[in-house]
Amino acid sequence: MQQHPLVAILTRLGTFVLVMIALSVMIFVLARVVPGDPARMALGPAATQEQVDALRLQMGLDQPLAVQYLDYVGKALHGDLGMSLVSQRPVTADLKQTAPATVELVLVSVIFMFLVAIPVGVITAHYRDRALDHIGRILSLTGVTIPSFLFAITLQLLAARGLPGWPIIGRIDHSLGWPGGPTGFLILDGLLAGRFDVALNALQHLALPAFALSMAGIGQITRITRSSMIENQRKDHVLTLQSFGVPERVIIFRYLLKLSSIAPLTIMGLEFASLIGNAFVIEMVFAWGGFASYGLQAILQKDLNAVTAVVLVAGLFFIVANLIVDVLISIIDPRLRRKEAR
Amino acid sequence: MADMKMLDSSDRGLSTGYMMWYRFSRNPAAVAGSLILLSVVILAVFAPWLTPYPKHVGAVVDFRARHLPPDLAHWFGTDKAGRDIFSRTIFGLRVSLLLVIGVLGISVPVGTVLGLIAGYFGGWVERIVSGLTNVMLAMPPLVMALAVSNLLEPTLMNAMIAITLLWWTWHARLIYSVSKSIASEDYIEAARLAGAGPLHILFREILPNCVSVISVKTTLDAAFVILFGATLSFLGFGVKPPTPDLGSMVADGRQFMPDFWWEVLCPGAAVLYVTLGFNLLGDGLRDMFDVES
Amino acid sequence: MAEPLLRVENLNVTFTAYGRTRQVLRDVSFTVAAGERVALIGETGSGKSVTAKAIIGTLPKNGRITSGSIAIGGRDVLTMARGEREALKGTAFSLIMQDPLSSFNPVFKIGTHLDDVMRFADRRDGKVSSKADRNARIAAVLRRVQLADTERVMNAYPSELSGGMRQRVLIGLALLHQPRLLIADEPGTALDVTTQDEILNLINHLVAEEDMALLMITHNLGVVRKVADRVVVMHHGDIVETGPCTDILHRPSEEYTRSLLDAVPPLYGPRVTDLPQSGEPPIVRIERLNKIYGRRNGYHAVRDVTLALKAGEIFGLAGESGSGKTSVARMIMGLSRPTSGKLAIDAPDPGRGKRLTQIVYQNPGTSLNPKRTVKQTLTLPLKSIGMDAARRDARMRELLELVRLPQSYLAKYPHELSGGQKQRVAIARALAAEPKILILDEPTAALDVSVQKTVIELLMQLREELGLTYLMISHDLSLMRNFCSRIAIMLRGEIVEEGPTPEVFAGPRHPYTRALIAAIPVVTDEEERLKPTVTDEERMRFLVKTTD
Repeated sequence: MQQHPLVAILTRLGTFVLVMIALSVMIFVLARVVPGDPARMALGPAATQEQVDALRLQMGLDQPLAVQYLDYVGKALHGDLGMSLVSQRPVTADLKQTAPATVELVLVSVIFMFLVAIPVGVITAHYRDRALDHIGRILSLTGVTIPSFLFAITLQLLAARGLPGWPIIGRIDHSLGWPGGPTGFLILDGLLAGRFDVALNALQHLALPAFALSMAGIGQITRITRSSMIENQRKDHVLTLQSFGVPERVIIFRYLLKLSSIAPLTIMGLEFASLIGNAFVIEMVFAWGGFASYGLQAILQKDLNAVTAVVLVAGLFFIVANLIVDVLISIIDPRLRRKEAR
Repeated sequence: MADMKMLDSSDRGLSTGYMMWYRFSRNPAAVAGSLILLSVVILAVFAPWLTPYPKHVGAVVDFRARHLPPDLAHWFGTDKAGRDIFSRTIFGLRVSLLLVIGVLGISVPVGTVLGLIAGYFGGWVERIVSGLTNVMLAMPPLVMALAVSNLLEPTLMNAMIAITLLWWTWHARLIYSVSKSIASEDYIEAARLAGAGPLHILFREILPNCVSVISVKTTLDAAFVILFGATLSFLGFGVKPPTPDLGSMVADGRQFMPDFWWEVLCPGAAVLYVTLGFNLLGDGLRDMFDVES
Repeated sequence: MAEPLLRVENLNVTFTAYGRTRQVLRDVSFTVAAGERVALIGETGSGKSVTAKAIIGTLPKNGRITSGSIAIGGRDVLTMARGEREALKGTAFSLIMQDPLSSFNPVFKIGTHLDDVMRFADRRDGKVSSKADRNARIAAVLRRVQLADTERVMNAYPSELSGGMRQRVLIGLALLHQPRLLIADEPGTALDVTTQDEILNLINHLVAEEDMALLMITHNLGVVRKVADRVVVMHHGDIVETGPCTDILHRPSEEYTRSLLDAVPPLYGPRVTDLPQSGEPPIVRIERLNKIYGRRNGYHAVRDVTLALKAGEIFGLAGESGSGKTSVARMIMGLSRPTSGKLAIDAPDPGRGKRLTQIVYQNPGTSLNPKRTVKQTLTLPLKSIGMDAARRDARMRELLELVRLPQSYLAKYPHELSGGQKQRVAIARALAAEPKILILDEPTAALDVSVQKTVIELLMQLREELGLTYLMISHDLSLMRNFCSRIAIMLRGEIVEEGPTPEVFAGPRHPYTRALIAAIPVVTDEEERLKPTVTDEERMRFLVKTTD
């Protein structure tokens, strides 16, 4: 019955490709059936009708929708997502420039999220209904209830008052004269180039926005970890180990933690959607200048090609994140591996 | 599991209502959450009579009173136009609650019905609904809402439509999984054998067993919708000024940070207060119903 | 007299739920001497499992020991320091868990569980052991519970082993450190009867070999006879009586024990009921019926089954899990389509909304919608056969009378009813639709033996009053012996033997039938003597292997 793991992964990739296609059709259609002429929007009310018509022709807006879509996909597969009407550059170039900042922010947030949430979840589950549990629950409740913009602004405010000199906007001090590195991740580039001052400076800049971005996830994952730990604690297999004198700490940190990490991982995958959404807010508050800021500008300016690309890339982020989560879970859970093979 | 079984035998003779009330009254989170929400609803409904400066909701300008810090006359201080932030915040709650009612009032019934159908019938309905939800889930909701509402027109109404378009999928997905597991229960087959039609099975047999899940999810979702709406208006996609709206009030106040901090923190705290209420109640309900998340 | 290995004295335990406190154990006292086998027997709610949990120290959080003492080897465990009590686990006494699947953490290998238990027990004894040394000892223990392929078992995840194998591993787990007392909570109950029999034999064998004491928690009087020297009978938290096994089973002094024994359906002997054979023509005719699940190389659940159900008889379809008996029943009901073969029901069309067949499910807990009252549940079938409100009310009253339930129960929800009452409601629902044939899917498997007796009596009376035909599917051969007029035995999708029940039991021809009957735990020595014999070779051929 055992199926090759590669086959399972390929099938899963296949479904993701399908989702990606569906997503692109939806956003593409949406962007073109909405009221208003994209060419008119791009040029503004001052442009003459001739100019608008010319642009329409250039954008291929006179073609049937299906043709336009296939044309778009064909080009997209070759890395051409069209021109941004606002920046007057290829959208791909804009994305290349802005994406690393966001990826760096998101990655650090996710790492931070797990470093905080899993231990807090385990501790609160263990000290259920005692002081530590209540403190932990307040932390997680704050995480899920506080609006991310409020939390970000409050952090800025506190830093401005309590930590004079701590950077509260941007990614790096311009006085360092950093020309940029190959990866676009400032911390990594700084370390690669041996410029530890750059890496440290970038890390300082990153700390607040990453904390602000991770807060909602910390709340969710702490909760799920706690409830999952508590639920599994009631299971018979815990009784088995207890009845044979396996120490409590081994039961918790070895047996329960692994079993209870399935639920938070699953949630993490879904949480990615709101993480990307929150990045829009955080980047705006901290003037981060990443992909999300670019997306916000594109949306505000009704830059169709850029909007379509931003939604697609955001969807891609989500799908890749969930693919990773799926692989992790199937490594943890043998029952899932067998089910897939069936 | 074993201790649940023991509880079962002792449950007998206790009415469902009594057990619910017992669990509710012994659940501080649920009680606190309901009290918060009760206060919010009262404030929002009776805002014109309860606020000190109901006129400040409109385009009032009083430059002598601008940027006043909180004091007894202005509990939350005043804004750049000298308007009372407390009054505006209370009226802002109305917008938030309307948003919740609008979004969940449509997406919960739609999501529930589609979820029930997909879970019970399976087949092509199941494939379509689960395919659609898979695609919708891959879209970061905030990005989608921004894109849709802006392509239309950046108003609260459009934002609401955009949120609603996405939100039903989350509900449909949850109810789908619950309905699918209930559909395989013996009592559903028994009902079918007793001659029940599909409508009876969906709405009389399966739906009552989904009520606890739906109410927990809806309560927690209400908090998300409010957060969502506030975030959208913070980013500039809210109601048109001068109507007060919590998110745009925070955005307005941000220009005057850090000196006039109350202009950001007070309306922000109001959002927090409402979402806290919904979350506490939702958690409490979850404990009461013993629903797994 | 020497101090007994286990002495429980005046134990009182209360449970608190929804602000109400109930006493679940009242002054429970008994002893287990070294090398003695004691059974704690009782029905649901008798407090037998609570007693076991109190001894092991795993009472749920809402349970509290209010008074009494539990001494192991003369030392009171209730006053012991926590660490000291922990140290007793696995060494002074060991526990054999009940449900072999949920007793293991699904994301860890079997070997990991075993190794950790051994490692920490070693550490408590102040020993340092190497992994290889532990592995060798674990393998030795697994071989003692007759698991030959130790390497494979240790490297398997819990879901990859059969129920019988997991149960063996659990027994092995209990033996890792040569405990003096073995506590077994309904071992093998979740398994097939033949596997359960093997498990009980294994426990008996090990207890004798190691000279361990055994405390067996069970609801089955047959199991008691098989594994106990002395019996403690519990009822509603009280000890009803205590005595040597033969005395309790043959000369009980208490009324409760007598009624319990009386409720056990006999397999052989004078108490057996023989049902008359039906002389009517067949109402259901099945010929060369096949069911294959899945498309290519699917699972062949039913193979060439040919059967005829006579009108007015009670036909028993017996077999263990996976034998295909349920698939046959579902095809008769029209719930699934045969892959090939003929199936005909010979009866006039019942008319609008009615069905010829109805079913009573095994577990009344899951066959009644928890969110609907008895009245709502019964209204549905009555409505669909076209009754108006007034006639429905009258009919509902009749139905409740038929199943011997008071009228006031119409307003109740399932959770307010006991298991037996729920099953009566389920029977009423099945009858409401006025079927000709009633499928009984192990209708009493989830019920206590005394409740089973009343439900079976009810079913018998209903069949006479209403002239129904029953098809009972079950694995409980002793029940079927007394309830069915004809019986067919299924093995791996095929019918291996069929005939009038008295004949099949008097001279079972197929070795599988013999093995199945031989595996049933019985209450009297006479029944044991009358059981058919099976050779080891036959056993090997027809029973599911659980030994490697």
